[in-house]
Amino acid sequence: MLQYWTAILTEATIFAILALGIDMIWGWAGDFDLSAYAYFALGVYMTIVMTVGKPKAPVVYILGWHLPYLIAVPIAVVVVVAFASIIGAIALRSLREVYFSITTLGAVWAIYYAVENYTPLFNGYNGVYGLFDPMGGSLSYNNYHYIFLGFCLLVLFLIYLVVQRLSTSAFGRMVRAVRDDERAAAVYGRNVFWAKYRTYLFGAGLAGLSGGLFAAYIGAFNPLDWKPTEIFVLYAAILVGGRGNPKGVVLGSFIVYVGFVEMTRYIPSPAARPELGPALRQILIGLLIILMMKFRPSGLLPEQLGSDGTVARRSWPERLLRSTPATNHPIAAPDDEFNEDVA
Amino acid sequence: MRDNSKTLVKFEWRLCYILHHSAPATDDHFIIELQTARLFGGTLSIFWISLGQGLAVAAILALSSVAFTLEYAVSRVVNLAHGEILTIGAYAAYVCETTYHQDIYVCAVVATICGSLAAIAINFIVIENFRNQKPLATLIATLGVSLVLQNVLLIIFGGASDSYTFNQGSLLHVGPFLWTTLTIEVMVAAIVVAVLIYLLLQRTRLGKALRAVSQNRELSQVSGIPARRVVMQTWGVAGAVSGFAGFLYGETIGTITPTIGNGFLLLSITAAVGGGLGRPYATLGGAVVLGLVMAAAGTYVSSAYQLVIAFGFLVVMLLIKPNGMFVRGMAQTVRA
Repeated sequence: MLQYWTAILTEATIFAILALGIDMIWGWAGDFDLSAYAYFALGVYMTIVMTVGKPKAPVVYILGWHLPYLIAVPIAVVVVVAFASIIGAIALRSLREVYFSITTLGAVWAIYYAVENYTPLFNGYNGVYGLFDPMGGSLSYNNYHYIFLGFCLLVLFLIYLVVQRLSTSAFGRMVRAVRDDERAAAVYGRNVFWAKYRTYLFGAGLAGLSGGLFAAYIGAFNPLDWKPTEIFVLYAAILVGGRGNPKGVVLGSFIVYVGFVEMTRYIPSPAARPELGPALRQILIGLLIILMMKFRPSGLLPEQLGSDGTVARRSWPERLLRSTPATNHPIAAPDDEFNEDVA
Repeated sequence: MRDNSKTLVKFEWRLCYILHHSAPATDDHFIIELQTARLFGGTLSIFWISLGQGLAVAAILALSSVAFTLEYAVSRVVNLAHGEILTIGAYAAYVCETTYHQDIYVCAVVATICGSLAAIAINFIVIENFRNQKPLATLIATLGVSLVLQNVLLIIFGGASDSYTFNQGSLLHVGPFLWTTLTIEVMVAAIVVAVLIYLLLQRTRLGKALRAVSQNRELSQVSGIPARRVVMQTWGVAGAVSGFAGFLYGETIGTITPTIGNGFLLLSITAAVGGGLGRPYATLGGAVVLGLVMAAAGTYVSSAYQLVIAFGFLVVMLLIKPNGMFVRGMAQTVRA
């Protein structure tokens, strides 16, 4: 039972990091990106091929290095960001909203079929695998899993601090301003493409990092493990928790992963109908998306906005350092005449 | 010669694998074609065979993408649950055939009606409720609908593939193409439906109202057009066309699974966006071009990379001409 909970919590932790990355792209910048799961998958693939060593025939894949885990993951993240910079540049250049989503949807399926069919890259349909131990084999099986969960939680905590800090920083406010009114932000001298692009790359980097963690957790990966439609679960998690609020996103990931895995565990899946449980889970996720979108699109912990649309709260280091209360108006309020014009 | 026939079978199996991740349920169709490929000997080239297949798929694709574009035209929504309407049509015909033992024409009608009802239900329950929200919110909601419908079908029919047992007819050697009688019927039916859509759009009151609503819903409502009803009727028409297309697709491919529509959805989006989203005739052109691109890709590159090239085509089209290739003018930024 303890092992079961360890497994679920590890998975939820890893996907919370992925959700934080996706939330930066969707929640902050407002781009509904459907290709983020490809970055996650690329992170997993790259980590595996850089740590498990040379492929043994008939398995083929690129690199086949034998790097230490803690070096392989950052390299994987760099590769993912480089890859995302191409897709991001194409999709964000002039396309917005629905057209952006369609572009990323086309891109992710093109990547999916390419990886599945081009064997020399990641061994195609059969995928790559290999057992590797980030801790160097000094621990027993159970202890390793507990330590790894602790490691994931630590990474999540650090990532959360960075993201929360970034969220309330000038950059976070600027990205949200671009999201809410691109034209006005451009008038105030913000580079719209650059703002969205940087957010996109940061989000993709987080997706790659969570992929690196997932690689150590799962140890084998093939195209069946990353059907691009799996990303809907993450969007459901973000919707439940609170789009644009890192705290809410982490909460939502744990609710959806732990809640849904627990809830659907008790649905009997007879041997003749093995698809029943997973299908019911997908139905619940679909309903969750529709209902949250309709009745509470801002989630359980809504993004905290000041009256002028900026993130009002100070981040924790600022609150520690300065005792002055946070203001809702970081920018000088425009005079009344201007307001009347806008209204 | 032997190589040719092998390649043909490989081609069809690949197509099945790519689109459904499963092997075709029965080999009959393929064995017949294999034998006939031998029979016709040197006169058959693999290019024309795959081009013929490509044309058949393109005809169905044209129907599906026109329906998709009509949905977009009146509701301004990229309906990601469109694929499921096709699947519902395909399975309605399947049930009609296996359980009630009806003939092919009754099955086609049942598929059409069920597709229509499904589309009206989607519009009534979800789309209309999201009408005052951003297009992106509606897109996300249709994504939820797609998940729900697909998995309901999965629970009802199971994950294994089913297949129709209609007579495939005899193999015909039309010009340079190799088609079965059924494939030809499918293509003729697709063309007839396309002509019917044209007549509906140009010659009927509904078509006129539809065009008005697609240009400006509020303005047309002010001018006395019952916009809500027109939108509902348009979804009915689009659903009927999709259900029929789903039936034709299942019949051409040979097997149906709860995910066939989902696989076909992205091709429909590609055709619609490539041609011109929201413009039925531009979309028709886009579907034909996409069908030819895919046939060429299947022959000259590899059928394994057919879909990679199709979706690459979508991304490139969005990059260079986001309004669609058959729409005049070039927009700097496309907003839905």
